[in-house]
Amino acid sequence: MAVVSIRDLVVEYSSGGYAARPFDHFDLELESGELVVLLGASGCGKSTLLSILGSLLAPTAGSVQIDGQEITHLGGKDLIEYRRHTVGFVFQGFNLIPSLSARENVEMPMLAAGEAKQAARARAEELLALVDLTNRSHHKPGAMSGGQQQRVAIARAIAMSPKLVLADEPTASLDYVQVDGVLRHLRDLAAPGRTVVIATHDERLLPLADRVVELTPKADRAAGRQPERIELAAGQELFRQGDAGELVYEVESGAIVIARELAGGGEEILQIVEPGGYFGELAPMFGLQRAASARGGDVPTVVTGYTLRDFRGRQSTGL
Amino acid sequence: MAMWLLSRRELQFRSRRALVAVLVSALVFGIAVAAEGIKRTLSNEPSAFVDSFHADGWVVPRDGSPFTTISVLPASMGAALADTPGVTSVHPVVNGRATIVSGTRQNANLIGYDLADGKGPALTGGRAPKSAHEIAVSSGTGAGIGDKLVTTAGTFEVVGTVDGMRFNASAPTILMTFAGAQRAVLGGQPYAMGFAVNGRPESLPQGTQFSSNEAAAADLGLTIKSATSTIDFITLLTWLVAAGVIGAIVYLAALEQNRNFAILRATGSTGKLIVGSLLVQSLAIAVSAAVLSVPLAFVIRLGMPMPSTLTADSFFRILAVGLVVGCLASIAAVRRALRVSPAEAFGGA
Repeated sequence: MAVVSIRDLVVEYSSGGYAARPFDHFDLELESGELVVLLGASGCGKSTLLSILGSLLAPTAGSVQIDGQEITHLGGKDLIEYRRHTVGFVFQGFNLIPSLSARENVEMPMLAAGEAKQAARARAEELLALVDLTNRSHHKPGAMSGGQQQRVAIARAIAMSPKLVLADEPTASLDYVQVDGVLRHLRDLAAPGRTVVIATHDERLLPLADRVVELTPKADRAAGRQPERIELAAGQELFRQGDAGELVYEVESGAIVIARELAGGGEEILQIVEPGGYFGELAPMFGLQRAASARGGDVPTVVTGYTLRDFRGRQSTGL
Repeated sequence: MAMWLLSRRELQFRSRRALVAVLVSALVFGIAVAAEGIKRTLSNEPSAFVDSFHADGWVVPRDGSPFTTISVLPASMGAALADTPGVTSVHPVVNGRATIVSGTRQNANLIGYDLADGKGPALTGGRAPKSAHEIAVSSGTGAGIGDKLVTTAGTFEVVGTVDGMRFNASAPTILMTFAGAQRAVLGGQPYAMGFAVNGRPESLPQGTQFSSNEAAAADLGLTIKSATSTIDFITLLTWLVAAGVIGAIVYLAALEQNRNFAILRATGSTGKLIVGSLLVQSLAIAVSAAVLSVPLAFVIRLGMPMPSTLTADSFFRILAVGLVVGCLASIAAVRRALRVSPAEAFGGA
């Protein structure tokens, strides 16, 4: 049985008045002991997915089960218990509490959960030894290097022996010397009984992963595909806002309506593309999701989809 | 445990700012304590003054008072009163105001009352005045025994000193013979403004009433009621200023700790822990300021032109005020902290 089971996840929020939907009927299952890397560009929803797994955010729709427990509607004591005992976080930029020493940062989740001071202290010392920071336990975060701080964050994340550890860009702000130690400790976290999910755009982490989940398509993913001629009935959808973008389209006949969905419902028409015009080049170029929807106009429409390389070739030859 | 650890460390981490908050608030609290001491002085003066005559009560013109009225009674009424059953002794009193012009120009209370038979206010030095040109003075006149005191009511020789007789917002008192006061205040006419009575007269002369010491003191206190009310208001304002100073510091600290609150909530800390931590920080600053305000109040008192009575009550009260101020000061910070979403922990430094 999967430790993490995400079904039909929809996340939608308002971004400058427009509807942003980083996850639209997204499914994912993670097994115990796996180290999974969520790979994607900034803004693709990696941190949002971690927040949902950590029950820090509630999705718009869908189901998220951790070890069989539905977490999308947790509240009150159940929510606090979940955050205390089931999940541990390694935040981007370390996010230690600057007024506390390394040991106290590790102790804090245990003390907050009501553990005795002595027991919490002993466990914190043990965890700091695990991340090779015994001699830094009395140092404040400001007196430690980025790598050391991130190792303290790792120790804090596993203080309550959670089944799921979530790490957000754990190597951001670290140089290559510091990255080594952090990666080694992250790899060690993934063991039977514990699943580690790392959100990153740092491809240096990929060799660590048991599984890589790409949240945005690579720019060259469509490479090698032949141009696709598509006939659309009047009003028929070509792609939807939030979809992965792989092809650039050129209108052969008819017209294409480019519209952006609004947060409160409805849409704003951004452009009508007529024969000879093209659209949809930014998503494949930068590995982004579609920022607007495209559909046929009032008459039957024909478009041709090109890979980015083919499209550039046509541009340079003036076709 | 977590709450205490977090509170202590945050105060240590921002110790300079906390120290500034403590010092400024202590100064404000010190001013409040010293001002309250002045109010206490003003409030105590009337009863201390009236009690200094050791009378059981006063016979005064109807609806009058021995020290605030300008109505008069025939001085000869004293003899009739002395013969009234229930009365053991009677002393006529005249009161007025004069301005001391020698030394620092200032107003003074002028009381005519014969000390000759050993009744009335106790002398703390010298002897009782015996003639119209002799006076005894309270503290504050700037004159001592043997000095000449020049006033708008005449020039007098100081022959004695009395204690506990300042009133009318701590104005000093010139105590003279009854006859001397009649001459200085009433132009020598044979009137009295009231009679200090020992015993309780079974009947009263027509046009008079019996006034207790408490009633006489309360009547005297009316003259400073607006002053004491003003002090109360200013004291309240100083407490609010202290709350504002501490509140601003704690709120600023809370703003800086937004990310910390998000981390704490994401890692399973309850809202109570965060609220408790801010409350403890605020209370620690407020109570420290209240404690420090005690010695500061003594220093501030030295610079005040009016006497300020500092008592243990004042300091217990300022401690209580410190607790209340600390709670009030943390409200804005607590509201802010509780609005922080744990999802904010996901974000770069």
